[in-house]
Amino acid sequence: MAELQLGDVFVEMADTLVDDFDVIEFLHVLTERCVHLLGVSAAGILLTDGRDTLQVVAASSERTRLLELFQLQTDQGPCVDCFHTGRPVSVADLPSAGRWPRFAAAAAEVGFAAVHALPMRLRAEVIGALNLFDTDAGALDEGKLRIGQALADVATIGLLQQRAVHRRDVLTEQLQTALNSRVLIEQAKGVLAERLHLDVADAFTLLRNSARSRNRRLSELAQAVVDGSEQIPPAAAPSHPH
Amino acid sequence: MFAWGAVMSAGRRLRLWSLVVEQAHGVPVAVEHVCAAAMSATGVTGAAVMVMLSATPRETVYASDRVARELEELTLTLGEGPGVDAVTGGPVLAADLTASDCLARWPVFAPAAAHVGVRAVFALPLQVGGIRLGVLGLYRARPGVLDRGQLADALVLADTACAVLLDGAQRERLRPEGRRPEQAGPRHPEVHQATGMIMVQLGVGAVAALIRLRAYAYAHDRRLRDVARDVVARRLRFDPGPDGDG
Repeated sequence: MAELQLGDVFVEMADTLVDDFDVIEFLHVLTERCVHLLGVSAAGILLTDGRDTLQVVAASSERTRLLELFQLQTDQGPCVDCFHTGRPVSVADLPSAGRWPRFAAAAAEVGFAAVHALPMRLRAEVIGALNLFDTDAGALDEGKLRIGQALADVATIGLLQQRAVHRRDVLTEQLQTALNSRVLIEQAKGVLAERLHLDVADAFTLLRNSARSRNRRLSELAQAVVDGSEQIPPAAAPSHPH
Repeated sequence: MFAWGAVMSAGRRLRLWSLVVEQAHGVPVAVEHVCAAAMSATGVTGAAVMVMLSATPRETVYASDRVARELEELTLTLGEGPGVDAVTGGPVLAADLTASDCLARWPVFAPAAAHVGVRAVFALPLQVGGIRLGVLGLYRARPGVLDRGQLADALVLADTACAVLLDGAQRERLRPEGRRPEQAGPRHPEVHQATGMIMVQLGVGAVAALIRLRAYAYAHDRRLRDVARDVVARRLRFDPGPDGDG
């Protein structure tokens, strides 16, 4: 069963990659698939901003408290260590690990016991990390770690958007564009949340569903919402996927 | 484990802000001082800031020298070049304008720029999500990439240029003396969510909403992210009208 699902996910991702796709939407789907395939509670993707800091670009849920937890990891936690060493960091039991006190306390508050970070690598470069949270303590077994790493690699490939990234300059251009798209989506979430009296997480779901039903790229629709050239009616009310 | 990423990042920002302030020689910081700092930090020979707001055509607000001004004019007249591509996309880093990929991408601009003595152009968008303020252009006579540290410095200084442009009109009135401008980058999602919410509350565009949010934070001597968090939690609303915030 798990084998079949894994195959399905790679087919889905490969299909996306040959189309003109939206990178934030792609990464968002990938984090959702991580949750299902690896049996974890939440997944997020953090990328380097080229200024020595990691930034959150996608998460399996846009719930504010989860995003804050990912955001906290841009300062301290397994992701930062994983990013700096280029190696996976796995903490099977966060409370007893005694590291990153501020992060561990925040994770415990949300109910997470285990956290894993897998590097996103492009040859010698580490461009970010795939971050996994679980409410149950315990290590990821060897098989899941391999699948997780493969998904992190797929995320890296998606970011490069099929362009031949043989120079670090092109990589920088791609990463900066992805990070700015994320900011744009936050602005659009704010517009929708205020106009339609929604929670910002529901505003994201609405934006995403609207992009899908209109067959538009997520960042393009976000841009249209921010510059006022397109409206999203409340009729397309949030229906939570899965 | 210590928060190395945050420390390194804060260290870089602090060092570069000091450099910008030093260039200003006691007068309020403007984009020309950011350009001077960028030249000093990244070893480029010229720098310019182009501003493009929806109401106005693109306009060069500062160019460090004749060559930088000439390149800005070329970009404007030809409608091509790294400075054009950076408006709608991410940074455009052209390490050698005489290389075949650059000549293919900008067939008129690349040879013209090389002709006036510029071999490398690094165009960094001044943007905050959907807010596109303009472009910071860095020019160098010698070809070659920016190394990792120079590139990080250039990106931080582009953020600084954004902040300086956003705070421009209100700066002297509102920002407490000696306070660094708030970062304009991706760091705190609440800031961008709040920007969107304030747009609807005030019926204004994104740039005006962000300017108001930043001005409010300065006027109340609070951190931008804390004010933004209040807006997102609906503890703070911005009302239309003269200075009628909060």
